[in-house]
Amino acid sequence: MLRHQDDAPAPAPEPLIELKGVDKTFGPVKALSGLSARVGRGEFVTVVGPSGCGKSTLFNIVAGLEEPDPGGALRFEGRSCHAADLLGRVSFMPQRDLLLPWRTVIDNAILALEIEGRPRKEARAEALRMLPEFGLAGFEAQYPHQLSGGMRQRVALMRTFLFERDLMLLDEPFGALDALTRTLMQRWLLDVWQRHRRTILFITHDVDEAIFLGDRVLVMTARPGAVKLEQRIDLPRPRRPDLVTAPEFIRLKRTLLEAIEEESLKSFQIAEEKIR
Amino acid sequence: MSAAPALAASTPAAGPRAGLFARRVAGRVAALLAVALAWEGLVLLLGIRPFYLPRLSSVLAAIAASPGAYAAGFLRTLAETLIGFVAGGAFGVAVAVAFLRLRALREMVFPLFVVSQTIPVIAFGALVVLWFGNTLIAKAVIAFYLTFFPVTVNALIGLESVDPRQIALMRSFGASPRQILLRLQLPSALPQTFVALRLAASLSLVGAIVGEWFGDTTGLGVLLLQAMYNENVVAIWAALLVSALLGTGFYSAVALLERRLVFWGAEQ
Repeated sequence: MLRHQDDAPAPAPEPLIELKGVDKTFGPVKALSGLSARVGRGEFVTVVGPSGCGKSTLFNIVAGLEEPDPGGALRFEGRSCHAADLLGRVSFMPQRDLLLPWRTVIDNAILALEIEGRPRKEARAEALRMLPEFGLAGFEAQYPHQLSGGMRQRVALMRTFLFERDLMLLDEPFGALDALTRTLMQRWLLDVWQRHRRTILFITHDVDEAIFLGDRVLVMTARPGAVKLEQRIDLPRPRRPDLVTAPEFIRLKRTLLEAIEEESLKSFQIAEEKIR
Repeated sequence: MSAAPALAASTPAAGPRAGLFARRVAGRVAALLAVALAWEGLVLLLGIRPFYLPRLSSVLAAIAASPGAYAAGFLRTLAETLIGFVAGGAFGVAVAVAFLRLRALREMVFPLFVVSQTIPVIAFGALVVLWFGNTLIAKAVIAFYLTFFPVTVNALIGLESVDPRQIALMRSFGASPRQILLRLQLPSALPQTFVALRLAASLSLVGAIVGEWFGDTTGLGVLLLQAMYNENVVAIWAALLVSALLGTGFYSAVALLERRLVFWGAEQ
């Protein structure tokens, strides 16, 4: 299934996380089938695919929330492991911000640190220093319902960043934001990523977003999910907003859209066959 | 930072809020006064016989004549209500947590709870008085009996309605079941639990007063019963008025606690 583009160089020598031939079934439904992927240290990898292709299942496995079917291989930091071993070792940000309404901005941000057992005072001081970078300076004592959608998302991102783990999983973090806020947040995320140098695995529906952010884009097949196409994005960094109109960008976008289109049609046909 | 922070909601200033509160209190006091005046006025105007409805002033005079008895009754019944309420609330929440964790226990015990609640409190009260005698604890037990069940049911609903994605997030941070319970599930269940606690505030008072009817020497229920045997209508109304004061005060205290603790409202 896995097809490398001709121009894709060999993957990074030391993968932080690696999945090989991973399957996952939920009762009669096969969500993943023979999925293989690797993410190198410090890499920003984006994942796109038709809806219902098992992207979230992939994420739940890497976050340690879901155990894959026996048979496949899962390796983290070069060692083979169970998904459950990854609990507490990967910082995970789900689609919705999931802030706790009874906690202030600062206390929401330090939730993961508190669970780790860090003293609250120390964690708060660390978060307080980080607030300006997340555009939240002066908002530490506000409650989530007093914030706009973009700000709530930044609090959730800050919670993810404060939980310092080598691998960050972001599941459509900007999916619910309006287009303008979204592009601002993308540029801001790249900015923060370049300074903190974490490894990021990022799910999105949006091909533009996938290309603009990623070092590599993984296109997933229709269900059962596997990696259909792995596309290296050799666009120079730092990436400027006008990049989205550059010819190389358009060329990459066409390749990716074609692949996604093919898969979307497939899942459509499967659905139609079921109806018949 | 590129994205300038924009304050979504302005914090309301203390001034207007305090003013609003003062106006609401003033409104309620005015309404109470109006009812009191209407009571007094109508009894006089329509010449209603004291046997059916005594004047408010004579009821108040009856209380003023023996303030010690009413104060002692008030305090005694308050103590019974409070003990039953607190114990019932705590037990209710604890059982809800146990039911959440252990499905088998829930399937075994929950039907028994339902059956226990179908027994009329009067029937049960007789038993409790036999077991515990004419003590304060006996009344508190009856208040407890009426309180714990609604709290169990509502706390369980609240605990079960926690967003599973929120639990998944906590687990991905490496949280233990205990941390998830304390930091996520219990606070999430608070709004739903308080719905039951407000109900329990009234029920626990009923339990305490009914408990006193099985025999005691002090308490508002005792005052009511004595007045009834003596056909002292004014004393019945006096005990009723003091009970209303206790009930309203207790309910308001619980509601105030709710506003303090569940300040975020039914958001999300």
